[in-house]
Amino acid sequence: MAELGAISLWIALALAAYSTIGSVAGKLRLSPALVESAQTAMYAAGLALLVATLSLVVAFISRDFEIAYVAAHSDLAMPNRFTWVAFYAGNEGSLLYIATTLAIMSAIAVWRCPEKFKDALPYTTAVLMLTLTFFLAVTAVMANPFDKLPFVPLDGEGINPLLTHFGMFFHPPALMAGLIGITVPFAFAIGSLLAGKTGDEWVDAGRVWGMVSWVLLAGGLLLGSWWAYTILGWGGFWFWDPVENAAFMPWLGITAFIHSIMVQKRRGMFRMWNIVLINVAFGLALYGMFMNRGGSVPSVHSFGASQLGWVFLMFLAIGVVVPFAIFIWRYPLLKSARNLDSMLSREAAFLVNNMLLLAIAFVTLWGTVYPLISRLTNDEEITIARPFYDQVNGPLMLGLIFLMGIGPLIPWRKAGLATLRKTLLPPAVAGLATVAVLAILGLHKEYALIAFGLASFVTGGILMEWYRGTRSRHRSSGENYAIAFLQLIAANRPRYGGYIVHLSIIMVTLGIVGTSFFSIQRDVVLSPGESTVVGDYELVFLGTLETPKSNRIEFESTVQVFRGGDLLDTIRTKRAFYPSFNMASTNAAIRSTPVEDLYIVPSENLPDGSVGFRILVNPLIWWMWVAGPVMVLGTVIALWPQKVRAPAPVPTPRRFAPGPRPSAA
Amino acid sequence: MALPPARAIFVLLILSAFGVSVATQTGRLHAQTPEPESSQGEAGFSESEAQGIDRMIMCPVCPAETIDQAQVQIALQMRAVVREMLADGKERKEILDFFVERYGQDILGAPPKSGAALVAWLLPAGGVLAAIVAVFFIIRSMTRHATVLATPRLVPDPGLVPYLQLVDRHLEMSRGGPRTGGTSDPPGPAVESSGTEASDQTDPTGTDEKE
Repeated sequence: MAELGAISLWIALALAAYSTIGSVAGKLRLSPALVESAQTAMYAAGLALLVATLSLVVAFISRDFEIAYVAAHSDLAMPNRFTWVAFYAGNEGSLLYIATTLAIMSAIAVWRCPEKFKDALPYTTAVLMLTLTFFLAVTAVMANPFDKLPFVPLDGEGINPLLTHFGMFFHPPALMAGLIGITVPFAFAIGSLLAGKTGDEWVDAGRVWGMVSWVLLAGGLLLGSWWAYTILGWGGFWFWDPVENAAFMPWLGITAFIHSIMVQKRRGMFRMWNIVLINVAFGLALYGMFMNRGGSVPSVHSFGASQLGWVFLMFLAIGVVVPFAIFIWRYPLLKSARNLDSMLSREAAFLVNNMLLLAIAFVTLWGTVYPLISRLTNDEEITIARPFYDQVNGPLMLGLIFLMGIGPLIPWRKAGLATLRKTLLPPAVAGLATVAVLAILGLHKEYALIAFGLASFVTGGILMEWYRGTRSRHRSSGENYAIAFLQLIAANRPRYGGYIVHLSIIMVTLGIVGTSFFSIQRDVVLSPGESTVVGDYELVFLGTLETPKSNRIEFESTVQVFRGGDLLDTIRTKRAFYPSFNMASTNAAIRSTPVEDLYIVPSENLPDGSVGFRILVNPLIWWMWVAGPVMVLGTVIALWPQKVRAPAPVPTPRRFAPGPRPSAA
Repeated sequence: MALPPARAIFVLLILSAFGVSVATQTGRLHAQTPEPESSQGEAGFSESEAQGIDRMIMCPVCPAETIDQAQVQIALQMRAVVREMLADGKERKEILDFFVERYGQDILGAPPKSGAALVAWLLPAGGVLAAIVAVFFIIRSMTRHATVLATPRLVPDPGLVPYLQLVDRHLEMSRGGPRTGGTSDPPGPAVESSGTEASDQTDPTGTDEKE
């Protein structure tokens, strides 16, 4: 198994390298045969990597402890389904996963390449395969998952208990796929530049693959937050940890990209800016992968292995400098088809959207990097954590929400003030009314008021658009409202998919605002039979059941939840102690409703039978998790291929005289 | 400003939907926002005040966690110290200074807004402000540029006239009838965007056209 895997890995590396060189050489020497063989090599590399992946999976299932990676991340007691997580638990496996994902995405992207881009495709292939070559080289040479131990251990070290949670089956693969996925729109952009194309041929593929990596990153980030919330045991979901930030920044970049690429698709504008933007997003993605593999900042995510860090840093430097050099070289070709007609237009709104997103990314980057700078320059140790980001990123995000309300409602090209007033008035009224209602009900935290008001504003605008569209469709086609609405979505997939995604962002906002401003937290030690009051709930601790298991001791504590004298629920919370890792993991008991979560987690089990509990009431957090599937649904709708009807020539009625002709002069 | 009846009703519907849903939630929120147990009278401080201070102090041994979040022994001890000091009547600033004295500046979750560390706040704030100003001027210059370019396009070069007429005739033939305007129109999207598209189209009449 190890041999098969290792050989496949090296073969894939050779094929990727050949594909890179062959694509460029074939294009320069005008040899279609060379180009085609390079493309075939790309597909073959993907196949070889699938073989390598399968070999590693089989090695895990058969518990081949001679392979160092298998011994480090599994043991005889591990159930087979955890092979999935064990695969990417360490550097070696996760690099193999990234390489395989890149190979598959490249193959699909090249296979589905739009016709009009075909002559620039070899350059895109070269960029994709160059990146793959880098990852495979690093994997094969420095972090080979198939390296063997000099002896065969009797048992492995077992899988990290934190990884055995449901969320861990999806968070790392989604996030890694999202990060490496940014390579695809990037490759299309660079391919277009290298081929000397002046137009927008790459935009369709760029948009599709930009959105694919966007949803993967968004899903990965949400899943990571959900995992942190349910398993890390402090009731929060975001650390502003350097590695979290490192995934957040490329997500911001690719969000900016998928918005401004719409302008290029529709109006042929922002050609230069979009190249710059995708370069920045790709650079941030490389930085993200660097942080994960040897960044010098400690975090819950660090894989360690500092030599890998240097290699990634070099590739990051090349991956930023070279594309910008190419951009500057091709700069004269990138004139936009048109210019901005008005400052009050959707195009301008998209520019502001980009600016806000990049500002948030910049602040996050600054917050991540400043402690290092401060330590190096004036020897002062500074921490930048949540309090900083709340104060600086908070207002920027509120601005973004505001823009999310205006953007879809503002017309392209030029918005007349009268039109704007008409369109924006109902949502604005909804927003202000919400603020008024909340203030009257006693809510006085300014940020929360503004945030809820803006959430109403955005949602009101979206619902208004849905209502208008459905009504006019109902009037013109006679369909009933329900069918009209569904047909409306089907006929305008990118737009309505976008609306649904915006709604999911509002849901996330609700979750963040609810927990940030209205959480109640109590730490209390209870002995069996004791009760405590948190918020409206009365909690009675019944007792703990201690169960020794194969690799851990489990403490299951049962708590009864009362409200107003009525028993709402009996919940069980678990805490497991792993002696071999000297680590404890907790399964919080969460009673979740759309209004709030009751969150109970045991922080310590004392010898006398009493348990230290942390109890949290987290309002509105349910909305944040529900937003995930809504976001995916919206993206799928937006990406669903829609037949673009070719413009049909309409003969002008004879009674209208044609316009002035030069011949009349 | 009077709204048409349909729109007014729609606005009212949105308002009531939001009002009802939010009101039911804030009913709970309102019940929860005032201080829970251990209120001002008993121990001399409020729990949420203590938690607020907890959120500003980092746990010295955990990566990127405040003592409010961390569950390790030292974090629990530090939380107890915060509450002791609050009960003693110490102010928030005194408590934070106490920890800074013992652990160094980096025990705080955010840099102080004074001294050398002020640059940590000024740079992002300044950067964002600069970006806003830049975007404003960029948008403005892009729109100015548009009005400058618009005018010359209205008058086609007289030397091109015979060619434009030829193109008009070809267009008429391929589209089955005269249409308003024609190539005497300002050259718009059809000519400028996606260079390859125009050249990909085959000319039905077989003659070459200058574009």
